Amino acid sequence: MLSPDEQRRYSRQIMLFGEEGQEKLKDATIFIAGAGGLGSPIALYLAAAGVGKIIIADNDLVELSNLNRQIVHSTPDIGERKSESARQKMGAINPGIIIEGHHGTIDSENISTLIKDTDGIVDAMDNFETRYILNKAAYEKKIPLFHGGIHGFSGQATTIIPGRTACLRCIFPHAPPKETFPVLGTTAGFIGVLQANEVIKYLIGTGELLENRLLLWDGERAELDTIEVEKNPSCPICGNNGE
Amino acid sequence: MQVILPDKSRHTLPQDPQDIRGILLKFGCNPTSVIVIRNGIVVPEDFTAREDDEIRIISVSHGG
Repeated sequence: MLSPDEQRRYSRQIMLFGEEGQEKLKDATIFIAGAGGLGSPIALYLAAAGVGKIIIADNDLVELSNLNRQIVHSTPDIGERKSESARQKMGAINPGIIIEGHHGTIDSENISTLIKDTDGIVDAMDNFETRYILNKAAYEKKIPLFHGGIHGFSGQATTIIPGRTACLRCIFPHAPPKETFPVLGTTAGFIGVLQANEVIKYLIGTGELLENRLLLWDGERAELDTIEVEKNPSCPICGNNGE
Repeated sequence: MQVILPDKSRHTLPQDPQDIRGILLKFGCNPTSVIVIRNGIVVPEDFTAREDDEIRIISVSHGG
């Protein structure tokens, strides 16, 4: 049941999906892996939308060079833990939700604890090694994974529903080499908002998700494209002879 | 077959079947940094492309 304050706060989206939909958001728990370029818009929009509990994890401190794109952090936050900085901003936008910040690396040891009782995992990581950990855990626990990746003016997003769609490893069988990558803040904003939109649609049960579709954004040409993806029978995670 | 590289340039290859790994090698693409789409669907490296196929190579955006 929504309080009168909640009814007012969310009135414009209750017009879209009713109080029933809003209550679904309120009852949900989402884990955001990363409080950087993608994690920033994802965290802010999911908090503003009223997702009841959000856990956000990052192992970094805010640096000056982050601030062109990591809009959840501000100049006074330099040196602060990203998870804590994000938690404070999300709480300022919406004090009516529960936000937990986790400062630390996401690894195969702690992933089960971090995603315990969550309804969705949002991939806002900057490397594929951790993405593969998220993907494996999502598959094993049957929790949806909302993927996003960015580079320069370009980005991609897809929604992975374990057992129903190709998994991340089917689409990206190899981890690209780690590097300091160029990126524009608007690219992170564009893809992060898409991911947040997917989460909201999934939780409410409305619209068409990016299932078995990889959305590609070319910001330099202002072109958007979606391509089909399929399960790979040889996938080491979800294939016929999975791990 | 038609091959479209990440910079959107188009190249026509001879009609013979060719595996994706060989196409990537020919155009100097690192297999770990790209995904390959054949006629709109992502295909693995060991896939063999045929004469009428359109092969699109896309750079993976790996940052966050």
